[in-house]
Amino acid sequence: MISEVFKNVFGKKKTSAVKPQDLSFQKLGLQLKEDIDGVFGRSLAVRELDSGSDNAAEIEVNNLAAPYYDAERFGITFVASPRHADVILITGAITLNMAAAVKKTFDAMPQPGLVMAVGDDACDGGILKGTYAVLGGADRMLHVDVKIPGNPPSPEEIMAGLVTLMAQIKMKTRTG
Amino acid sequence: MQTIIEELEGRFKATPLAISVPGKNQKAVYLKTGEKSVPEIMLLLEGKGVILADLFAAENFTGEKFSLFYIFEKRGDPVMMVLVVGIDEAKAASVAAHFPGACYYEREVADGFGIEFTRAFDKRRLFLHEVYPEGFHPLLKSFENKPLDIDYSKLVKEYPFRKCSGEGIYQIPVGPVHAGVIEPGHFRFHAIGETIFNLEIRHFYTHRGLEKLAEGKTPLECCAVAESVSGDESAANVTALTMAVEEICGIKVPLRAWCIRTILLELERVYSHLGDLAGMAIDVAFPLGAAAFFNMREETLRQNGALTGSRFSKGIIVPGGLNRDIAQSKLGGLQAYTNDFVARLEKAVADINASGWVIDRFETTGTIDKALAAPLNLSGPVARASGVQVDTRIDHPYGIYEKLRVEEYPREGGDVLARFLVKADEIKNSIRLIQDVLDQTGGGPVFEKYEAIEGYAMSMVEAARGQNLHWLWLKNGRVERYKVRTASFCNWPVIEHAVVGNIVADFPVINKSLNLSYAGNDL
Repeated sequence: MISEVFKNVFGKKKTSAVKPQDLSFQKLGLQLKEDIDGVFGRSLAVRELDSGSDNAAEIEVNNLAAPYYDAERFGITFVASPRHADVILITGAITLNMAAAVKKTFDAMPQPGLVMAVGDDACDGGILKGTYAVLGGADRMLHVDVKIPGNPPSPEEIMAGLVTLMAQIKMKTRTG
Repeated sequence: MQTIIEELEGRFKATPLAISVPGKNQKAVYLKTGEKSVPEIMLLLEGKGVILADLFAAENFTGEKFSLFYIFEKRGDPVMMVLVVGIDEAKAASVAAHFPGACYYEREVADGFGIEFTRAFDKRRLFLHEVYPEGFHPLLKSFENKPLDIDYSKLVKEYPFRKCSGEGIYQIPVGPVHAGVIEPGHFRFHAIGETIFNLEIRHFYTHRGLEKLAEGKTPLECCAVAESVSGDESAANVTALTMAVEEICGIKVPLRAWCIRTILLELERVYSHLGDLAGMAIDVAFPLGAAAFFNMREETLRQNGALTGSRFSKGIIVPGGLNRDIAQSKLGGLQAYTNDFVARLEKAVADINASGWVIDRFETTGTIDKALAAPLNLSGPVARASGVQVDTRIDHPYGIYEKLRVEEYPREGGDVLARFLVKADEIKNSIRLIQDVLDQTGGGPVFEKYEAIEGYAMSMVEAARGQNLHWLWLKNGRVERYKVRTASFCNWPVIEHAVVGNIVADFPVINKSLNLSYAGNDL
């Protein structure tokens, strides 16, 4: 029993087996962290909103939070409510069935709420453009700050999008 | 099935339409009959223990205005029966009393075509939410696909949920926007204290009109539509579409193309299941246990990316085979990657098994009764974890699956734990299949020229979530009607049964253990 406790306290922890990987991702992350620290003071709260995607984009957003990328170490937090969010990542074209919910979600955000469209469908409707069931891309309803094309964009591309978003905000705060 | 078909021909004068043969194991026999004999036929079929695998409609398929297609399967029998019922008026008798699964399908047909099902016990709308106007039926040929001019912001009438009342019963509405990074859907709970008394699901928030979108496209253009049915079933759905096209034009896909398709299909199962295992561990607050699965899933997605250029294997599978070959060196890279995969997975699963409190949360949680499998047509790991041996790769093998050792790992528990273990075993089997296929993959072409003009065909694949059934009808080289029925569509209603008697706090892990696709359900 006591030896077990000693092993737990002084022994090698399981998490130490994870190797640092992806230097390019690391670089993006550090850049983002610097910007977040400068503008938002330590953390950027992100809310994911699926407005009618095929679920591939959500998987990639999820992957950002998973241990391989662990974007939270750079100051991004994925929050459970739009009321806590600085930015909405919107995935998928806006379907008619989701339209009212998208509007309510955005309205629940503290303003000014930032919007990032993730994936081809969210950017301009993608292959769904012109069908009866969708309004179109996210900009049909919301002011979109950054668009990240891709079917779906990779976690690294989404991260690069966040860096672009922060750069935009920095520009605005400097000029405004 | 053959004797049933003969009986229908003899007793009800059902006339055979055509036999479509996507390989000898997915033979579909089409029988045409009038609407008058439908009630009697359904009674007879119910007694024979067949399963309703699909129900959909098409316009102007035969002489009548509408045709209803009832697809039946008898477990263990390779022959499928497609009963085509012609109706002139937009009215038909409900068969939900004989086949409870029909309820969902009939509501779908009613929305799409405006066909009214008499004596149906549920006539509420399904994929058309309240925002759509009355009398709007998008799948009618008279409706030209174009954006609707609708004011979505106006408060419209509410969906009539099932009502529960009594002392201490309260409602918990959840969704469509959830706390986690997941797809939209609504869950309406009725709870007594912590215990779930009743659950009703309300989905179709991601309805994108894919079936209508497919109409008028060439088979090749339609591939992108099939891939966006459900992002993490891209390879499975596009394979099913191409199988239907290939059957219509009667070509044989080169062996190398089938080998690569099979590798991609199995990789898809691997990353999908790995995500489920991780999600289940997360939902009982065990991120350390989940980390290994998450990491392996990321590696698998990267393997996909290295092979096809897309982490979700999009844009490579086309009718006739593949639109480009994959270099042998890349396949070699995959082979090297799989070497220690099973050992790593077993280690990660052992870590879960060694955590008593995780097992405590998994065991006896969200139990699905085996008896629900046939009436609801459950398939995939959900059915196999409840002791039902059903796998399209074994029952109706396609491509090269007949020559492969697909193994089933049925468990009787039907709870979250059983689904966890079934999925873990299936990943190991998929890796073994990938290794076997890699050994067999020889050189040769990966594309066979085809010309698809006229015809119709059905095809089935085993996606990660279970059986996906596609039906394609081509006219003048363009899609006239494309129907997709995913495993999620059949499996979703079972969650209403699985959660009853569980506590509300266990709902996330039950939902994750089923891991059904919202997009694949909503189309």
